Amino acid sequence: MSAPLQVYEPFRAGLPPLGRYWKSLWARRTFISQYSKSELREQHFDSVFGQLWLVLNPLLLSAVYFLLIVIIGGSSDSTRYGHLTASLFLFYLVSNSLTGGVKSVTAGQRLILNTAFPRIMLPISATIIALFKFLPTLFVFLVMRTIIGLPFGWEMLWAIPVFFIALLFSLGVAITISCVNVYFRDIASFLPYMTRTLLYLSPILYEASSLSPKLRALEVFNPLFPILDSWSQAVVHSQVPSTASLLQGLAWALGIFFIGTYFFLSREREFAVRL
Amino acid sequence: MPSVSNAPLATNEVAVSVRNLGLTYTTAIDRRPTLKARLKSFGGKQTRTIRALDEVNLDVEYGQVLGVIGTNGAGKSSLMRVIAGILPPSQGRVEVYGSVSTLLALGVGFNPAMSGRDNVFLGGLAAGMSREQIEEHFEEIADFSELGEAIDSPMRTYSSGMYARLAFSVAATVRPDILIVDEALSTGDAKFKEKSFNRIKELRSDDRALILVSHAMGTLREVCNDVAWLHKGKLIQRGEPNTVIDAYQEFLHVGKSAAVDEDL
Repeated sequence: MSAPLQVYEPFRAGLPPLGRYWKSLWARRTFISQYSKSELREQHFDSVFGQLWLVLNPLLLSAVYFLLIVIIGGSSDSTRYGHLTASLFLFYLVSNSLTGGVKSVTAGQRLILNTAFPRIMLPISATIIALFKFLPTLFVFLVMRTIIGLPFGWEMLWAIPVFFIALLFSLGVAITISCVNVYFRDIASFLPYMTRTLLYLSPILYEASSLSPKLRALEVFNPLFPILDSWSQAVVHSQVPSTASLLQGLAWALGIFFIGTYFFLSREREFAVRL
Repeated sequence: MPSVSNAPLATNEVAVSVRNLGLTYTTAIDRRPTLKARLKSFGGKQTRTIRALDEVNLDVEYGQVLGVIGTNGAGKSSLMRVIAGILPPSQGRVEVYGSVSTLLALGVGFNPAMSGRDNVFLGGLAAGMSREQIEEHFEEIADFSELGEAIDSPMRTYSSGMYARLAFSVAATVRPDILIVDEALSTGDAKFKEKSFNRIKELRSDDRALILVSHAMGTLREVCNDVAWLHKGKLIQRGEPNTVIDAYQEFLHVGKSAAVDEDL
């Protein structure tokens, strides 16, 4: 018998066989790249102006905040502007991943009801799309920091591990929220408020070091705090980020990723019923 | 593993084996599950349990063309989804030998904002085909669907007939070992109906199993060599098409009329 045998039996709560799951996910990796490509094309990000908009959008946003802080607030520090822009760009990686991820499963309804495939592909694609939107902004930031004369140094390489922590975190939140949205469809409407709150609670409009120690004690509850702080240390100040921040960020990212993935995998077999 | 394989399979070999299959699910009374609704109904349980399939035993062999009939809500689509691996069974066991291609009620086109071409590729990739395999079949799919230039327009601009045509073309072109078609036979205009009907006839072969869910009794009488009748999740009768369909129509008290034979 050369034909592949597939057996379907009732599942007990918990994870599907991970080895087989991973294999079938890996076999479909082209789906993820194709999906991201089609999605970006559909949002016109394959054209010059589309790409430009990708950069322009966060740049305009940072200009708005620049106005708020530097002009109205009366501080004229180029480092401050660099920090604001760099942090905002990374924040958008996370927030795009969240907003893209939240409806990834519910929007994939037709596909889920028609085909058997590892459902986790959908939130993963959402994060990849957010990543593709992030990459050009990184380039813009590099040009900008040269213009405003921020120091360059090898310490900037610390941005690489920080970036991967941020990416893992984005993936974790995308997986988690896409799963939650299947059960509570109104989460998507709360999301703008959640991201907005996260934006103000994170060291973006201000620097982590400028917070009073009392407030800083609360930072342990904000997963983005250590990640954004390390990011700013590395790419703006060209300093080695504190180990505590790095580890804290990593712990958050790993925690959210594993908990979210566990929930997703143990729930995804009933998505077809819930949609 | 839905992929295209042309492994020679002898007739009378089992393609799908369904044993004591049961499927239950709880659905919320609310159409859309929301946090708000959950909070409002805190404490009170607002769900009801549906027994979609009950002790179903069914074997499909290669070379068979099985028609599945039954009233709305009989569990036909649920059974197809379990065989396709989309819904996990609650009891029992399903074994599937070979690659499965599904054309369930919804068909392709999961992202209406994307073009037909993108949707065909995404659907195929999700089903586990490689990009090369899809490219190889794409021309044929596009030709068969007769969509012409429309294949590159967003699917939201398609009419429901165009949707159905594309979906049918995809499922019928990849030549799987096992093809499941759920109520998608009688879509499109008369010309396309005829065409898809002929395609189904072409697809009948000793090394393929076809499962067709349909209300078009005339079509089933003509193409199937076996019919299963489901009612309220239970398998009522299985056997020679004319016998089972006659019994089913007797049961429906509709008798044999042109309207029933054609499309219900």
